[in-house]
Amino acid sequence: MINITHKEFLQELSKQTPYDFCDYSDNSIQRRIHRIIQESGLNLNELLAKATADADFVERLVNDITVNTTELFRNQDVWEYLYTNVMPKLKSKKNINVWHAGCSTGQEVYSNLILLNELDMLDKANVVASDINNWVVKTAKDGEYPFRFNAQYIDTYNQLMSKIKPNANPFEYYFDIDKESDKMKAKNFLTDIPKFVKHDLVAEEMPFYQKFDIIFCRNVLIYFNPELQVKIVRKFFDKLYDNGVLILGSHEGLHGFVKTHFVKNGMVYTKNKTFHLTYK
Amino acid sequence: MQQNTAVKYKAIVMGGSAGSFSVVSKILSNINPDFKYPIVICMHRLKHIRSGLVEGLRLKSNLPVIEPFDKENIEGGKVYLAPSNYHMFIEIDATISLSTEEVYNHSRPSIDHTFMSAATSFREKMVGIILTGANKDGAMGMREVHVRNGYTIIQDPATCDVQTMPNASLQLFKPNKLLSPQGITDFLNSL
Repeated sequence: MINITHKEFLQELSKQTPYDFCDYSDNSIQRRIHRIIQESGLNLNELLAKATADADFVERLVNDITVNTTELFRNQDVWEYLYTNVMPKLKSKKNINVWHAGCSTGQEVYSNLILLNELDMLDKANVVASDINNWVVKTAKDGEYPFRFNAQYIDTYNQLMSKIKPNANPFEYYFDIDKESDKMKAKNFLTDIPKFVKHDLVAEEMPFYQKFDIIFCRNVLIYFNPELQVKIVRKFFDKLYDNGVLILGSHEGLHGFVKTHFVKNGMVYTKNKTFHLTYK
Repeated sequence: MQQNTAVKYKAIVMGGSAGSFSVVSKILSNINPDFKYPIVICMHRLKHIRSGLVEGLRLKSNLPVIEPFDKENIEGGKVYLAPSNYHMFIEIDATISLSTEEVYNHSRPSIDHTFMSAATSFREKMVGIILTGANKDGAMGMREVHVRNGYTIIQDPATCDVQTMPNASLQLFKPNKLLSPQGITDFLNSL
């Protein structure tokens, strides 16, 4: 049998499984697949054959293709900006709608809830968090992480709070820490709030009716090709309230015409509701 | 060799770790202000000390130093420094791709990732330079540059703060040149 190409592999995968990676950025998806080939010892034909026959294998494949790096309070600057400039403006609202698109294992979901609590706004929080990867959604829902690996983020929390709220609750107020079994777990008053869903940003319609005040989508767009990036950002634009904000990763930007729909301030992109007046 | 004016490079790619900040600042502070190639640099840094590196280099450099955004083009006469906590890949269309995928050789950015992608994209049309450093990251990537006929320079271990990184490369292939920081600067200025 002739070996199929990466493109053919992705096309077949999209036909025979629920997952469509065809519009992911060529180079990065090829590198991901190359890595899977090296680690599994299977070639593309064999990978495809297994994926078509075995639904669990597909989930594992999705887990290996997607990148699930995240951390608590990643890029302190952006959290400082949210706490100081974005969240206070939402205080008079009845509900604060937040969507974490590509939430991975959920650390940023809890970072956000902690800041809302420090502003006494937790009772207004209406949070949804989604990811294409079944496994990470489950971890996110549990809010349980290895302690040693994540202990450094306690320093991040303390540093951030020393800047924005010196009398903030200690980290232990939010997480139960069990050093012996190397675990830390977000407390129930946090894990009870978000609605976690498995959702593929690329293939599926948005599963929510409400609009959002804040959409987090951090280091997700960098894995998509330019056309797909524009398509997804348009959806975000439609799903944001006027003056709602989209939060991206520290070194990714908006490309194409959607760029004019937002006002950029660092990693925070504010929906520019007047764009259609100037956009001609 | 320096008379070989037919050779055109698409980029100079440099990697380093422990001790490399002072070497890179020395090179950039003595490089010709009209240097015509892009210089792409991947340096290990402490993850939670986010500022300092790029600002420090900007103060000394004769060329603009940029922490690129994803999909940014690389242009001649500019220095591109891998942003903290991202892997930096060089694509065939001379753009940069960033990625937050797994740490590699305990590092993000990983020097191997940058060299591997640059070697694949630019083949003989690049110069790869590995500097002082305390782990083996970069050695496999430098070997790839060598295998694809890129021009390779290893910082002379005798001039390195920490020799692990240059030695790891030396074990894998014979470079075109073994140079001191001053030698590297002179070489670049002769291109």
